[in-house]
Amino acid sequence: MSTAAPEAVAGARTGLAGALVVPATIFVAIGLLGPIAILFRYSLNQFIPGQFMVDGLTIENYVKFFTDSYYLNVLLRTVRVAVICTVACLIMGFPLAYVLARMQSRFKNLLIMLVVLPLFVGNAVRAAGWMTAFGSKGALNASLMGLGLIDHPIEIMFTENAVLIGIVAVNLPFMVLTLQSVIEGIPRNVEEAAFSLGAGPAAMFRRVLWPLALPGILAGTILTFILAMNAYATPVLLGGPKFQMMGPLVYGQFAQQNNWPFGGAISFILMTATIVLTVAAHLIVQRRYR
Amino acid sequence: MSAAARPSFGRLALNGAACLSLGFILLPLIFVTWLAFFRQEIPSFPPEGYSLKWFSAAASNKPFIDGFILSLQVGVLATLIGLALGVPASLALVRHRITLGPAVNTLLLLPLVMPGIVLGTALYVFQIETEIATGLPVLGSLGGLIAAHTLVVIPWVVRLVTASLTGFDRTIEEAAQNLGAGPLTTFWRVTLPSIRPGIVAAGLFGFVTSFGNLEMSLFLVGPGRTTLPIAILQYLEWKIDPTVAAASLIQIVLIAVAMVVTDRYVKLSRVV
Repeated sequence: MSTAAPEAVAGARTGLAGALVVPATIFVAIGLLGPIAILFRYSLNQFIPGQFMVDGLTIENYVKFFTDSYYLNVLLRTVRVAVICTVACLIMGFPLAYVLARMQSRFKNLLIMLVVLPLFVGNAVRAAGWMTAFGSKGALNASLMGLGLIDHPIEIMFTENAVLIGIVAVNLPFMVLTLQSVIEGIPRNVEEAAFSLGAGPAAMFRRVLWPLALPGILAGTILTFILAMNAYATPVLLGGPKFQMMGPLVYGQFAQQNNWPFGGAISFILMTATIVLTVAAHLIVQRRYR
Repeated sequence: MSAAARPSFGRLALNGAACLSLGFILLPLIFVTWLAFFRQEIPSFPPEGYSLKWFSAAASNKPFIDGFILSLQVGVLATLIGLALGVPASLALVRHRITLGPAVNTLLLLPLVMPGIVLGTALYVFQIETEIATGLPVLGSLGGLIAAHTLVVIPWVVRLVTASLTGFDRTIEEAAQNLGAGPLTTFWRVTLPSIRPGIVAAGLFGFVTSFGNLEMSLFLVGPGRTTLPIAILQYLEWKIDPTVAAASLIQIVLIAVAMVVTDRYVKLSRVV
């Protein structure tokens, strides 16, 4: 309140402002922080088969996760898939983001709409597209066989590669849009200055563009990493039942096993792993480029 | 290679890479669109011929129709509630110095970066607890679903309305008040019209986010009450055929139309 002092009318206005902002704040606080607190409380409960959930205060759900190699492998696989997808998104996203950012034609808005559209269409629909392509008689195998490159269909549906391709396609728009907005804020002059001082395109990129775009690169990387860690529809539809990642694992514990305490614990491990890895990456990058 | 040709070669490689990425983003939508017009049911390439019959098949598929109606209901209501809560909050956040203003702003944007799976599980146990505490059927109810969707609509409203307010010239309001308009008249006749594009964009983005939401909704739908994205997901877990592709294409077209309309009010390249 002390910061609101300077204006004479500040007191009355702050009262009004409070009335305007409070409903939304209460709604989000109760609807978001409340549920997370309850979920954490549930994860400390016991699950006794036949008796359902029993109130308790135990860390056995977390111990179960970290001592069972099956669950640990699911976590490691999820982290590996998320890292590969994030790197792929950065490499594939940068050229498109740069071209969009420096574009001045009237088609720019149309192209941005084409990047945004898939983002809003939803993951299930996009997975359907890849399912059409990846089947044994799908577009990919049909065209490869038509070209005479392979004799019999390659197995790609229900493999890790299918999931990787699916998640990269899902997350790429987020990376492109984040990078594009940051690159647009970098004046064209600094690039031209680098060129006129004798830098080649590679040196200009490494010494000028990359450091200046770093905040956007970091933001885009974090966003795509979080989304890849928490992917659900893509691994379920393109990876099949045997390819387990953390998202489908959480859903299975809630919907099929009815083991809410363990499901809650996995959900918390997923959230914590995402946050810890994100913060770690942030710190490493900051130290490296200070 | 001469020095003059060099930059244009680099430019060509850059544009080529950009086109490849854009193509990669759009490829799944192109395949779905193609499949929706196949004559045969099995998605084998090349198609034996083309037909429009799958659109009537999708239109007579009960889960798709029910899902579409539910998604529409939830999307419209969650957007209206989200606007009612989010627009005043954005006004207050931009115009007034509020205690903990930045913290409130962060909190209101938080549902956007919250992973759908975590949000879904958390809301699931929250609704169960509410059900136990009040005795009302919350989980799987229309109200519970709308409340959850409102939570993911609010960040878009705050983000877009705040953005349209920051460029607003306050002297126009002062001029209106100098000319004798009261605070309410000033708001209705001056402030509101000038931030209308931001509100329209917020409404459409909020609706589209709600309409396409999958992960969070998965935990909150009840038996016989599924949204369109979940109906599509459940169908795809069973099989892929032109019927589901036709349903998907209808969804794609609907969202594309919503985006083109939004673009008339606010340039997408400025808000996304």
